[in-house]
Parts: sequence; C-alpha cells; structure tokens
Amino acid sequence: MINPLSLSVNGVPYTAAIEPHRTLLSVLREEFGITGPKEGCDDSECGACMVLIDGEPTNACCYLALQAEDREITTIEGISDSPVGSRIQARMLEDGGIQCGFCTPGIVVMATALLSSNPNPNEEEIRNALAGNLCRCTGYQKIVAAVSKAAGDLE
Amino acid sequence: MTIGDRVPRGDGPEKVTGQAKYTADITMTGMLHARFLYAERPRARIIGIDTAAAKALPGVFAVITQDDMLDVRYGFFVKDRTVFATDEVRFEAEVVAAVAALTPEIAAEAVRLIEVDYEDLEPILDVEDALRDDVDLVHAGFASYEQMAGVDRDRNDCAHMTSVKGDVDAGFAEADVVVSARYRSDMSHAAPIEPHAVIAEWQGERVTIWSTSQVPFPARSQVARTLGIPESNVRIIVPHLGGGFGGKCDVHFETHIAALAKVTRRPVKLVFTRREEFLATDKPRHAAIIDLETGVRNDGTITARRAKIILDGGAYSGDSHFASEISIMMLQGPYRIPNLSAEVHTVYTNRTPSGSVRAPGAPQTVWAVEQHTEEIAAQLGMDPIDFRRKNLVEDGDTGQTGQRFDNPNAAACLERALEMAGYGQELPEGEAFGVSCGWWFSLPVASGAYVKLNADGSGTIVTGAQENGSGSVMGMPALAAEELGMAPEQFSIVYQDTSAGPFDLGSAGSQTTMNNGRAVIDAARQVRDELLQLAAHTLEAAVDDLELVDGAVRVRGAPTVAVTIGELAAQAHGGELLLGKGSGQPLPMPEHDASECVGRLFYPAFAHPSFFCHVGRIRVDQDTGVVQVLDWSAAFDFGTILNPIGAEGQVEGGTVQGIGFGLLEGSIYKDGHQQNASLLEYKLQTAIDAPPIKIAFVGGPAPAGPHGARAIGEPPVVGPPAALANGIAAATGARVRHLPMTPERVWESMQATGVN
Repeated sequence: MINPLSLSVNGVPYTAAIEPHRTLLSVLREEFGITGPKEGCDDSECGACMVLIDGEPTNACCYLALQAEDREITTIEGISDSPVGSRIQARMLEDGGIQCGFCTPGIVVMATALLSSNPNPNEEEIRNALAGNLCRCTGYQKIVAAVSKAAGDLE
Repeated sequence: MTIGDRVPRGDGPEKVTGQAKYTADITMTGMLHARFLYAERPRARIIGIDTAAAKALPGVFAVITQDDMLDVRYGFFVKDRTVFATDEVRFEAEVVAAVAALTPEIAAEAVRLIEVDYEDLEPILDVEDALRDDVDLVHAGFASYEQMAGVDRDRNDCAHMTSVKGDVDAGFAEADVVVSARYRSDMSHAAPIEPHAVIAEWQGERVTIWSTSQVPFPARSQVARTLGIPESNVRIIVPHLGGGFGGKCDVHFETHIAALAKVTRRPVKLVFTRREEFLATDKPRHAAIIDLETGVRNDGTITARRAKIILDGGAYSGDSHFASEISIMMLQGPYRIPNLSAEVHTVYTNRTPSGSVRAPGAPQTVWAVEQHTEEIAAQLGMDPIDFRRKNLVEDGDTGQTGQRFDNPNAAACLERALEMAGYGQELPEGEAFGVSCGWWFSLPVASGAYVKLNADGSGTIVTGAQENGSGSVMGMPALAAEELGMAPEQFSIVYQDTSAGPFDLGSAGSQTTMNNGRAVIDAARQVRDELLQLAAHTLEAAVDDLELVDGAVRVRGAPTVAVTIGELAAQAHGGELLLGKGSGQPLPMPEHDASECVGRLFYPAFAHPSFFCHVGRIRVDQDTGVVQVLDWSAAFDFGTILNPIGAEGQVEGGTVQGIGFGLLEGSIYKDGHQQNASLLEYKLQTAIDAPPIKIAFVGGPAPAGPHGARAIGEPPVVGPPAALANGIAAATGARVRHLPMTPERVWESMQATGVN
C-alpha cells in the first residue's frame, strides 16, 4: 500500500508516495536526500537522527513518516538559518564540541530546542536535555560548555 | 604562531551544519543493497547451503557464498579466515552468504529464503578449557595456516608471548609478603555512533570502495588478497568517519561488498544496523583473565612479579596480537620491578573475534594491576599513595624489557592529579577518591605526505592518514603552516584515499600526529626550500638573507623588500611547481633486551613513553552498589601540546569512555550468544553520567615527536576503570574483581566482604 504524504522540511514543501512502515528518517534521507540526520541505532537510543517536528525535538528513526503529514520539520540543515541554532553551531566549532561529527546534528538540534524553550539553562539542565544524545568522542564537557556559552551569547 | 594555539578543526563547519557526508549518506545511480546471512549459532558444521529460492526472488541480483570466492585465507597476523564461512561456522555472526537486491527489504527477504543445513557442534566458550589438550580445536587446520614471522602459537592458543626480566624466583625469595589475586574482565565494544557501512563499484578491472575504515591501506591489501587482484586495482576512500575507537581497524566487509558489486555489475551498498554492529563487526575489546602475584619487602620495595593473562580472542585472530603484546607490556606498570616473569595466551573460542579497541589490552590489564598495587599496599599497612611514591619509575630506572627511562614524569603526573582533585580532603559518607597510574607509548611506523602550493597562494596537504574524528589529520595544516609562515586555514587536505596519499597505517596506535605529522613537516620544509630559492631569484637576494613571515618571503632587516607566497606560487605554476614530499621515517626503538621473551612482534619496548595519573571522586550507594562519578582529575605527560582543543578533547572523551568500560560496558553471553546487543541494554555514558573533568599537561617537549609532541589518542582510556575500582574499594572496603563493575557486582562484593 502506498500513501501520499505532504509536509514541509526546512521551509520547503515536499510530497511523496510512501509505504506506511517508512520512518520519517528514511524518507528524509532516501526520498528527499536530506542526510544531515544520521541513523546510529534505529531505536531511539542514540539521538543522532533528531529533528524538530513543529519545534519539538523528536527521534526521526522512530517516527512514522505518515504521522508528519502537514507538519513542519526542521533538520540540522535548516537549523543554520535560526539565530539560536547558528550560535550553537559557532560555539560547538570554537569550543571543540565536535570530533567525529556523527552525533553533532542531533546534538545541535536538541540544544536548539533547549535554548528555544529555556534561554538560560544551568549545567544540569543542559546535561539533562542532552541525555538522549550519545556522543562517544568528546565526553560531553565541551558540548555542554558550548551550549552554555551560546546561551550567554544570545542573552 | 600556530603551534599550541586553540585552532578549531578544519572539518568543523561541514560537520556542525550537517553537510559532512559519511559513507551511509552516499547514494549512487543503479545502486543495490546488501544484506548478510549470519550463522546464528556459535559452532556448527555446514552440511549444505541452498540459495535457489533466494536467487529466484524478484529484485534479487546476486546471492553469493564462499563457493563464489577464491580459496584464500586472510588475517593480519595469522591467515585463519575466509571471506564467508567454509565448512564450519565459528561464531554466532559469522557471515555465511550475502545478497544484493534492489531494496534493503528485498535483500532481507532473500536472506530469509536461504536454507543452510547445519550440524551443531559443542561450542568452545571457556578460555581455560580451550587451552587444555583434550578440548576440540576451534580451527582444526590451525597448523597449516600462514602466519607472520615470530608469532608463537599452538592449537587454540593463537598468540603466546612472554616477558622475562631478572630472576623471578630469587626475587620472590627476597620478599617478606607475597600478594596474589585473579581479575576477570568481560568483552566490551568500541561502539562508535556511526555503524559500519561499505559501498563498492567496479569500472573495468578496478574497484572503488567507500568504507568506514580506520585503516584504508592495510584494509586494501587484505581486499586485494581475497579478491586476487593487485593492490593498485583497489581504491579505498573513507568519507567522513563517524568514530572508530579501534572497532573499524582491520578489514571488515569490503571484500564481501566488492564481490557482490562485481557479479551484479552495479554499485552495492551495505549499512549495518546497531544490532549487527554489536554482533558482527567482530572487533570488540578482549575479555580477559588476569592473574597477578607480587613479592614485596616490608619496607614497600617490590622484589618480583609473576603474571599471566588469558585473552579471549574469539573465533578468528584478526589483529588480536596487538592486544596480546600491549597487555603484557602493562604488567610492570609504571613501577620499579627488578624481576618479572609474565605470559599472555590469546585463545580461540566460539565467540565474536576480538580486536584492537582503543588501547587494546590496556584498560583491563591496568585495572587489574592498579587494584593489585593498592592491595599490596594494604597488606603492608602502607598508604597506597606513599606506596606509589616509593615505587614509581624515576630517571634511569628500567622497564620490563630493560628500556631505560629518561626523566619519566610518572611522579609529577601523580602529584599534579592529586593536587587538582583535592586528594586527602574529608569527604562525606559513601564518597572516596580513586587513583590509578600508568604509561603508554608513541608508535614509530612509516608514514608519508605531500605538500603543494597552489597558484592562488593556498596550500594542499595530500596524506594517506585517516581522520577518525580525533582531529589528528585536522592538525596537519598547523604543522605545514608553521614551516611556511602561513595560516592553517590556508591549507586544504586530501586524505584517507588510497589512490591519493602515500602509505599510512591509519588511525591506529595513536600514531597519526607522531608519524604523519613529521612527514608533513618534512614535506613543508621541502616546499619552503623551493620557495626561498624562487624568492632569492625574484628579490635578487641570497637565500640565507630571507625569512618567511605572514605569507611572504622578505629580506631580513628590509621588510619592504618582499614577495608574497601567492605571487611566488603563481609564478611557479609557469615552470617549477612548488611540491614537497615527506616521510616521517620510523624513529628507532629505545634500547632494550627482549632476547629471553617469546612471541614478541611490535612492542618489545615502548617508544617515547608517556605517563599519566587519574584521580576520580566517586560516591557508592551502599544499598544498591550504584557508583556515581562526581568529579575527575587527570594529568598526562604528552610533551608539547600542539592544539589544546584536540588534546583536551582526547582526554575528556577517553576518560568518559574509560568510565563506561569501568562501570557499565560489558557483553553478557549465554551459550555463545550476546544477550545485550543494543544501546538500550549495553549502556554508554550519557551527558548526565559524565563528570566534570580537570586536566593538566605535565612535562616538556618529547625529544623525537613533531615539535616535541607525544601520542595522545589512546592513553586517556587506559586508567579510568582502575581509578574507579580503587575508589570503590576506598568507599566500601570491598574489591570488585570483575569488570565492568556493575551495581550488582559492587553490591555482591560488598556482601562477600561483609561490608553491609
């Protein structure tokens, strides 16, 4: 069975005809060629696929694409256009919050969601917000510092 | 000035914006999708394989097995493996067949249609059993396998090595007290967040393979061997690599996918699921049994040590021998021990083949040695820090193969880490400090690089080195820029492509900065010489009177008489190109004597040793055994710090990985099957678990490294499990002798010790 899907990704309208079992992640990556969101586990365990769905951080690997009908999706590719996201990106770069970079899209998306709802989080709040985003390289310290500094910059 | 500056990584902008392409992000026209059929049993004889139904499924382009491959075995140290299972499967995720189909779903359906008739055999799962003469052989044909010269092996023992120093019996005779203990560690995983992926495409007789490899050149030679084609017909390109930690060393599935691409005449792509990443990538950290026995005098002088390590190598040896030799080199620790007799056995079993995960063999061995260190101190009634202060190696002391230490900063690291941690202060009930000391090496191996200047005045570095995420290749522009009076951001890098750069071992052995860094400096110096020659001609000045500053060559004392590098480069493109090549010639090993040691291959001594100390402050929940890590301090002698962002990043990331190996990360096996093959059941450290980390870099420039740098990548992961173990013992009075030290094991140790 093939179903029609229409949604907006990073402000651009897309339509597709897809099978109901397809995840939002697979449709973004394979149908639309938006490869910023990564697949690290396919089980909502690592957060590398995180996107914003109407502003809410969501693991796209465990979200059926058809649920996204008429919704606004923001991926890492669209985050660069937001003042909050671009500030986080700049701080991640300057502070060394990036190593292999595979978890980075999900972390930047999650941090953007955090600062959008809580512009001045303390360290514990940042660490709690990022608890669903696994990073195997950095030990998180520089990521947490980057998010904290980005919040300071935006004040 | 760029050396020592906090230079952001050059691949950062594309990574932080989501533009960076990893292997799984690549799609090619006409591409097919691969899936594997796995054994799903630890040991069995293959009676027959029927692929007819799978091949008949619409959308399936190929189903291949070992019958479609050359009868060739491969393996870095011992050639004990075929691409697909031949006659016998030896672990649960051994690949029996591979399918290429139009979609991943069709490929998975075809895999289900392959019928294999097995005769299940009793698996060999206990390493001590495996060493007995009356137990079945994991490899009945072991004696016929080709191997690297110097490998000492027999039956199920695929790597036997010894380390012999002094007269161990005489040493024990001098001892007042002898302390002995057995420690066990479970298998654990590299677990990069990016799963393995491979794409292969043929054009004519040549195959291009995009692969998540840390070691494209060594992988290439194994691919060429198993496909029966010249190495020069195999090109391996690594797109951005999403972490490796050793789990992407050695060859993996490049040959399987190249073979599918050849028979289908289409590009073929494989992307692993997380479950496959646990079961089938077969490069986890070795499970180990470590027996230690040490003699000491009442005054705290160590007189002798006997030690034995048994590593579970799993079904195939792969690059296990690195772990064998590094673990044996950890047994003296950073301490003065005049008499030592140690051996390691690396044993074939019907488990997932182990490999060289970040600091292979080291975290588990140091965890045992450093617990043992404190157990000795306790037996003597000595303070564990004072016992270390008395025994840490000093200038002129010797390592276990007789290498002489030249101003080792072992004691300086200990004191600095203790100071940062506030060691000795009164702590609340249930909290304690845990300490560990250790050492590591820089690996001297060959590596090459080219540097060229472009007509627009920018530079290009062409290197065979591999960037696994650590930032080591991203550090090369600073080294070239330093030689040429340019800025790091003026350089682009062509890297991790076997058809572009000269040979490099890959991101293994923490070797990139040490070896490729020296190659890049050599190459840049050649370009510098050419630039100065050209400028001398242009400026009508003597070469000796010229200097390279801020992107221009100028006459000393007359800064207005100058020509920019851009002008020179543009001028050179009409004639002499500005090109340099460099090879970081392997540095000599330190003087040592391994003549009485058996089976030694790569590390008879540790070149450019660096010492370290970790101090963690932890809290143990007395009711549940849960360990919380509150604060961490680590001191390392890494010589010159080329870029603090990168060096701190390695220490912070390695420490948190080490904490994970210490507390949570271990594979649970039942009847030869992994039980916790997902990130929900095999827990990595999260942002909440990770402690704040304080870092000190101790010591001056190393004599031989680029600008005095030493290796950084692996050492940070070595010490944390040991520091945690000593912290748990200090907090509870109980020793946990099984790694990882899960809440259950901590609680059980407390019960057994009668602490509660």
